[in-house]
Amino acid sequence: MSDLALKTEKLDKLYKLGKREVRALSDVNLEIKKGDFVSIMGPSGSGKTTLLNVLGCLDKPTHGTVYLDGNNVTKVPEKALYKTRKNKVGFVFQTFNLMPWLNAAENVELPMEGTKTSKAERQKRARELLQMVGLSQRAEHRPHKLSAGEQQRVAIARALANNPAIVLADEPTGNLDAKTKYEIVRLLGKLNTDQETTIIMVTHDRKVGSRASRMLFLNDGRLLKKERKGSHFMMLKCSHCGKEMRADDTFCAGCGKRL
Amino acid sequence: MGDIQEEIEQAYTLLEVRYISGAFLGGGGSFPEGDGGFPGGGGFPGGDGGRRPGFFRGENFLNESLVLEIEVLEGTDAVIPFFEKTEGTNQTITTPFGMTVEMLVPDYTIVGVVLDNEIINYYNVLPNTILEGRNLEDGDTGVLLLSLNSTDYFGAGVGDQVDILGNTFTVVGIYDETDILGLNRVYMSLSEAQAITDLEEQITSIDVYATNESIINQLALEISALDENITISTYETRLSSIELRAEMAEENLELAETTLSQTQALAYQEIGIAVVATCLIVLFTMLYTVRERTKEIGVLKAIGFSNGNIMSQFMLEGVIISAIAALVGVAIGTVAAPVLSTALLQPITGNSILQTSFVGRQVNVPGSSLSATAAIPSVELLLLVFVGAVLLGVLGTLYPAWRASRTSPMEALRHE
Repeated sequence: MSDLALKTEKLDKLYKLGKREVRALSDVNLEIKKGDFVSIMGPSGSGKTTLLNVLGCLDKPTHGTVYLDGNNVTKVPEKALYKTRKNKVGFVFQTFNLMPWLNAAENVELPMEGTKTSKAERQKRARELLQMVGLSQRAEHRPHKLSAGEQQRVAIARALANNPAIVLADEPTGNLDAKTKYEIVRLLGKLNTDQETTIIMVTHDRKVGSRASRMLFLNDGRLLKKERKGSHFMMLKCSHCGKEMRADDTFCAGCGKRL
Repeated sequence: MGDIQEEIEQAYTLLEVRYISGAFLGGGGSFPEGDGGFPGGGGFPGGDGGRRPGFFRGENFLNESLVLEIEVLEGTDAVIPFFEKTEGTNQTITTPFGMTVEMLVPDYTIVGVVLDNEIINYYNVLPNTILEGRNLEDGDTGVLLLSLNSTDYFGAGVGDQVDILGNTFTVVGIYDETDILGLNRVYMSLSEAQAITDLEEQITSIDVYATNESIINQLALEISALDENITISTYETRLSSIELRAEMAEENLELAETTLSQTQALAYQEIGIAVVATCLIVLFTMLYTVRERTKEIGVLKAIGFSNGNIMSQFMLEGVIISAIAALVGVAIGTVAAPVLSTALLQPITGNSILQTSFVGRQVNVPGSSLSATAAIPSVELLLLVFVGAVLLGVLGTLYPAWRASRTSPMEALRHE
């Protein structure tokens, strides 16, 4: 169990819509290893976001158990759950949700507030994280001075602030144009390979989803048995020079040509 | 003039005879002026000691022959006639509402007194507060006694010549007179007063002293039978008149106290309303803010902020906003309170007809552009207001901040 970042057992989530009961999640059993990059795909209303909320301790399942980093978080009372969210989970949202009055570095520092770190340590860590996402030059900029892609990079850096067990990304490319979309997915992939960050990404974009190492499919709140391997670690040969390269790279490292 | 005991006895045996008059300012009525009706017959306590005529007295006169008719009645000790006539000029005054009113403005009052040693030595008929020069004496002619306030009007002092209705008089003395009506008074002999005013044998009032206190009621009856146009006041009626006035003054005081307490109650009410309104405004503003920032709250919760963190964040915001608002309010209040209070009193103090009224005198501080009643808030009050405002801000923020802290992060994130 120790090599599992996340495990769920028989997750059910029921909503009441007036007198009708809506089943958003039904018997979801999931095991995600540390260092996995998982994409969860499915049509709208299939329960993707609900699943992500339950995994991220924003919502409680009606039945079933969630183990996060080996701990049963379903038992943790609502009032103490914020600690789990702070230390074990990092969120990346579709709409970035940066605090508009804080600059990039301050936004990254925000989750570290109230932890046992000094102001200097927090600032240092924020700089490191911004460097990691390629924004070291933009640390002093407020969100409105940053492009959408840059804002999402800051949001990703913020999600990593407290070294979480998992990063949950809810449609992280949903508000981005085609070019930026792949930059962000590549960044997530890089963090996954370089930092061994466990990432769960919800998307309904097949191309984006296929960049993960595992692709799960959700339909009507059920996890489909079929599971595909993503292109994340697939190696291809460059059609121009024959050099081996990762399938998610856009340009060949050998000849520099577009694939 | 005798000692106090004698004065008291004189007051008990004094009957004042006047022309009957219903008019308040017409003079002659024993009520409410009760002229000379103070114990001792010497005017106001601590006053000038002279006789105090009514406003515009002199329009109604009695014939001097009445003195002789009274003198022959049994039980009369002394019968002393007085003459008073107010001279004035007609002036046109513009009211605050734009109307013009023709009004007789009094210049001075001539008081005629019988200058006879038999009378002036034993009875209180002349002022006893001589400041300069001497009092009037038996046989004085062509001289007069000025009240202190009339020296300004006549522009004369002791030894100067003064023109009264075309006749020249020499000022022999000045007595202390502080008249609430601000009348300028001039004392002279009775016969000269009658002569210069062309009112020969006319008098305003008669003081009758009875030989015995027990017969004054009988004497009053007999005197009133002599002329149907006279009214008589005795010690008792004068006393009751004073008592009535005391009662009226007391009622006025009570009324003022009631008005004051009502005003105070109103002020407290307004403070109460302001307090409630402030709380509600803060409450709704902060509730709106919380609603507006639901998404932000959701994000903060998702990245690990506790309920307490969120609550204290909003409380801090409420305190800061309240403190800024309180500072602005205190600053405006400090500047506006004196200006406003002065501006509101300006129509009263700047009014020509009321220029000399007590309000005007009280408000205008000589040599200062500000008025005495300009409200200048104290430092303590400003501090109290500041602290109070911040506390109200905190009170109004409590519920919205609590609501914010209880927001479900999932719901909040879905909020746009």
